[in-house]
Formats: sequence, structure tokens, C-alpha cells
Amino acid sequence: MGETFQNLMLGFSVALQPSVLVYAFVGCIIGTLVGMLPGLGPLAGISLLLPATFGLNPIVSVVLLAGVYYGAMYGGSTTSILMRIPGEAASVMTCIDGYAMTQNGRAGPALAIAALGSFVAGSVGVVGLMLMAPTLAAFALRFGPPEYTALLLLGLFVLSYLSGGSMLKTLASAAIGLMLGMIGIDAMSGYTRFSFGVIELGDGVGIVPVAVGLFGISEILLTAGQDAVPSVQKPKLRQLIPTAADLRSSVGPVARGSLIGFVIGIIPGSAHIISSFVSYGIERRLSKHPERFGKGAIEGVAGPESANNAAATGAFVPMMALGIPTSPITAVMIAALMVHGITPGPTLIQDQPELFWGFVASMYVGNAVLLILNLPLVGLFVNLLRIPYAYLYPCILAFCILGCYSVANSTVEVWIMLIMGGLGYVLRKFGYDLAPIALGLILAPMLELSVRQSLAMSAGDYTIFLQRPLTLIMLGIGVLVLFFSLKPMLSKKGKDWRSEVGLEDEPPPEVAPQSKP
Amino acid sequence: MEKAAGAAPARGLRSDQVSGLVLLLVAVFVGWENRSYPLGTLQEPGPGYVPLLLAIFLGMMGLLVALRGTRALSMRNLKWPEFPRAVVILLACAVAAYALERLGYRITIFAFLVFFLGVVERKKWYTTLILSAAFALLSYFLFDTLLKVQLPAGPWGY
Repeated sequence: MGETFQNLMLGFSVALQPSVLVYAFVGCIIGTLVGMLPGLGPLAGISLLLPATFGLNPIVSVVLLAGVYYGAMYGGSTTSILMRIPGEAASVMTCIDGYAMTQNGRAGPALAIAALGSFVAGSVGVVGLMLMAPTLAAFALRFGPPEYTALLLLGLFVLSYLSGGSMLKTLASAAIGLMLGMIGIDAMSGYTRFSFGVIELGDGVGIVPVAVGLFGISEILLTAGQDAVPSVQKPKLRQLIPTAADLRSSVGPVARGSLIGFVIGIIPGSAHIISSFVSYGIERRLSKHPERFGKGAIEGVAGPESANNAAATGAFVPMMALGIPTSPITAVMIAALMVHGITPGPTLIQDQPELFWGFVASMYVGNAVLLILNLPLVGLFVNLLRIPYAYLYPCILAFCILGCYSVANSTVEVWIMLIMGGLGYVLRKFGYDLAPIALGLILAPMLELSVRQSLAMSAGDYTIFLQRPLTLIMLGIGVLVLFFSLKPMLSKKGKDWRSEVGLEDEPPPEVAPQSKP
Repeated sequence: MEKAAGAAPARGLRSDQVSGLVLLLVAVFVGWENRSYPLGTLQEPGPGYVPLLLAIFLGMMGLLVALRGTRALSMRNLKWPEFPRAVVILLACAVAAYALERLGYRITIFAFLVFFLGVVERKKWYTTLILSAAFALLSYFLFDTLLKVQLPAGPWGY
């Protein structure tokens, strides 16, 4: 404990340097904007900013990008509550009761509870990250290729189980993503696969153009042409103060949401989205008056908003401790570190204490900044929502082109982005979840390499995956998860978790859950 | 004429049947393209091994989606109201991608925004010109000059 405290002090000495502080602040502002703007989710936002971090030092890069990520979790709630438009997908559940509260003239307390809940959850998440990541990293030092294989497989199974859409379609999406990850030079044999003569594809398909295309461009393609100017009511500062009753009924949901969110955040998948669904379902189930849900229950805002923020922080645990991205967003952040020659993995926290602890400390600072940005200044940000979409989407498109081009100074990236945009548009029309594609793309090379390295270790003996206790446990859990996810397909009686938390009998408004993670 | 989705008569293809079969075709295509890479052995997988496994898996998933898709939304009920606009957007982006290194960032993005604001959205000509020029120049200044992200300049230096 003493050591943690000492490390944290080191972290604050890094995070409170003016340059780092400024970037944390900028990241939080950009994140809030990204979360509010329809057509730009945190993933597309972070991907677009990635090239801009090449010239910065690694600590500042990570602080900036993380600020965008959890800032977007705050910002997304504002549009959901005021306009019933989820600025990013994790806020879909907030739309239901948040907007109902606005209609009842209680927009202020809804915004306040969303921001306070996010703050509490974000802070709980950071404490969890601080305590868990170093322990997990020390443990993971013993991991070899077989353990990584098992872990990655487990991640894919859990993802397909927890994904919001149909199981088969999610698995198909994951397969598409894994296939995209096969493009490029095979690390073990040197063969260039599926490059179709394009030299730039030798390095593989980058995550940035795929993420921007799938989640940014496809969103614009889907929403273009609907440019009714939304009417926004601007909350006054005084109305923001929640009543004592509001606070009392929010304590439980915030606490539960923080815990659920953090745990789900550690598990691979589009954690922050799923966590808000699960939290909403649980709150409705636990409530003494479930009939109030959908008509402006403050618990329905407090729970999901806390959960998605805690999940955003939880996702940093496997990223920092294992070097494994559990979501496309952390994958982009890993890419940002690798540009600077830092490979996240079990040794990162020991080798780069300033980076890890500075990052942790900056999140304490960032959450405080966001609370200020999202409470007193919410009126200022709301003005942005008055800009007609007709002006916004051409500018967002231009940013997408700019961002993708500058990743590698190559128009090939822009072409990949456009192809992925078109693909994402069609797939969403047919009801496919896009997040597994992005995750599959990142996990594919890791998975293939670790499988083949394991087999090289054991001279082709597959029992290597069964002889090591850790691998056996992880694969066992994976098979169990797969069984659970297949159960509703095999028997009609089996209840899926989706109906347990009320996800299937009540589809969320406006957009399907497979919006932008 | 057309009844609501779900209650529609079982005529015509369902959306899941179409998408599942397309995925199956993609899987077959990948499997076919994959034939030029050595498969290796089960003990020592070659570069073609994992792609083949994935192709088989995708094909299976596609087939299952298609087979179980008899109650999905019928193709006739899958509406594409935004399709023409989406095609225009994709084409304009493609032209911009083609022009980016040939004309330079600032000219391309200026023309790109003028097209969207002036032609597609029919905003007033002066707002269009001012906004487009401001965006092109400011974003160039921010990214190229301040953040040192190199952006292409065309033959005239813009």
C-alpha cells in the first residue's frame, strides 16, 4: 500500500506538470465534444487524433487519448438526456429515462446525476486500475505463448457472448475482422498474404482507417439527409442541483454501476456499451417501482452512466498490465504507444513507471476537470448542438480524410477507410455488430502468432494447451462461455442474458446498440 | 399491400438469407485466394493454415445465418432511403482521396467542402466559401504547422 502511494505521488508529479495538465484538459474537452457530436464516437475520435500524437512524448499522447475516451463517456450523456440522441453508443440506455426526465422538466437533475455518477465511477475505476494493473502485470510475467493463446480465445468467446446482437452474426463479424487481420506479411514465414499487389498492404490493414470507416463514415452515411434542426433546451445552472431525494435514490445505482462497469471493462468486448445495458437491466430489476423506468426514473440515468465510465477505465487494466487490447479503443492507444517504441506488456509498469503512474494520476485530474466541464459549463456545450448537421458532417468527413491520410502519409489508408465505411453501412443495415470486426482485426495477428509459437514450443503437440494449468482454466472458461452462448440456440427454453436484463423485450430508441463504441 | 415486418408473407428473400449467402461467397472467395499459400501441417501450420480455418468458420456462420434467417426482415421491407445520398458522399470522398496528393491538401479540402455545402446542402454561396476556406486553412495550420503532421502540398504549393 505504501509503495502504491509512493508511486502515485510520482504519478502526480508527472501529471501536474503544466504540459501534461494542458493535454489532459484538451483531451477532456475534445472528448466531451466527440461524445456529444453524432457521427463521431470515442473510437473514431481517438483514431483521428492518433496522428497528431506522433510528435508528442508518449506520456502526453496517452494522457490526451485517454482524456478523449472517458471525456466522450461524459459528453455522450448530455445529448442523450436533452435530445434523445445518443452521442455515442454507450449512452443509448441513458436516452430512455434521461429524455423522459427532460420531458418532465427535470433535465437539470438528470444532467447533474449523470455527471456526478460518471465522476464517482471514474474515480472508483482509477483506484481499481491503480491497485489491479500492477498485480496483474506481475502475474502475467509468467505468461508464455500458450497462455496468450488461451487468453485471446477466451476474449473472443466472451465478446461473442456479451455482444448486443445475434450470436451468429457477431461470430461472423469477428471472423471478418480476423480475416482482415490476416492481410499483410506473415510474421513467421514471410509470405505476403492477400495484399492483391498493393505494396502498402504488406504492413497489414491499420486499425485507424478501419475504425474511422466502420464507426465514423458509416454513421454519416446512415444519417445523411436527415437535417431537421433539433430543438435543445438549455438548462439553467440553478436547475442543475438535484434534490436530496434524487441523490438518495442514486447512491445505490451509482455504486452498483461503478462496480459492474469496472468488472465488465476488464473483460474483452465493447465493454462500455454492454456495461450500460447490464446496469440498466439490473437497476430495473432491483427497483421497488420498475414501472417508473422509461418514464423518467433517475436510477435509469445514474446506473448506466456510472457503468460506462467505470468500464472505460476498467478497459485500461488489461491494456496496461498485459498489453492486450480488449476493445478497439485500447488497441488504438496501444498503437499510439508503439509509435514511440514502447510495447505495452507485463513489463511496462516496471520499465516505465512515469508513464503508467502519470497516466493514472492524470485520470484523477481528468475526472475532476470533466465534472467542471459538464456541470457549470454544460450550457456552453449545448450551443454546439444547435449547429445544423448539414454543416457538421462535411467537416467531420474532411477530418476523417485528414486523420487517415496522416497515419502513414498515404492515400491507401483513405481508400481503406472508404471501403470500410461502405462495408460498415451495408452491414449495419443488415443488423451486424461492427465492434467484433475491429477487435478481430487487432487480435488476429497476435492470436495466429501465439498459436504457432506455442506449437513450435511443443514441436507440434497440441496438448501443450492442456498441460499448463493456467491455459487449461482459461480455455475451460472459454468453452463454458461458448456453451452458454449457444444454449438459447439449441433449446427454446434457455433464457439468454439479453432477455434477463430486459435488452430484448425493449429495444433502445433511435439507434440499435451496435452504434459507435 | 405490404404487411408489417414479421407478419409479411413468406415471399421473396429475407435480409438474413441474403447477407448469410454473401458471407458464404466471401468465405469461398477467401478460401480460393488462399490456395497459393502453403498450408503446412497440423503440427507446423504454414501461412495458409489460419486463413483457411477462418474461411471455413465464416462460411459456416454465413450458412447458419442464412438457414436461420427465415423469419428475418424481408428484403422488400429493408428500406434504403439514405442510399442515394450515401453514394454521393462515398463518391465525393473517393474523388478527394484521388486528388489529395495531386492537388494538395488545402485545395482538395476546399473544393470538397464547397461541393458539400454549396451543391449538396445548397447553403448560401458566401457562407459556403468562407467556411470552406476557413476550415481548409485552419486545419492545415493546426495539423501541419502546429502539430507537425505532414500534409500534402500540390504543384502550386498549397
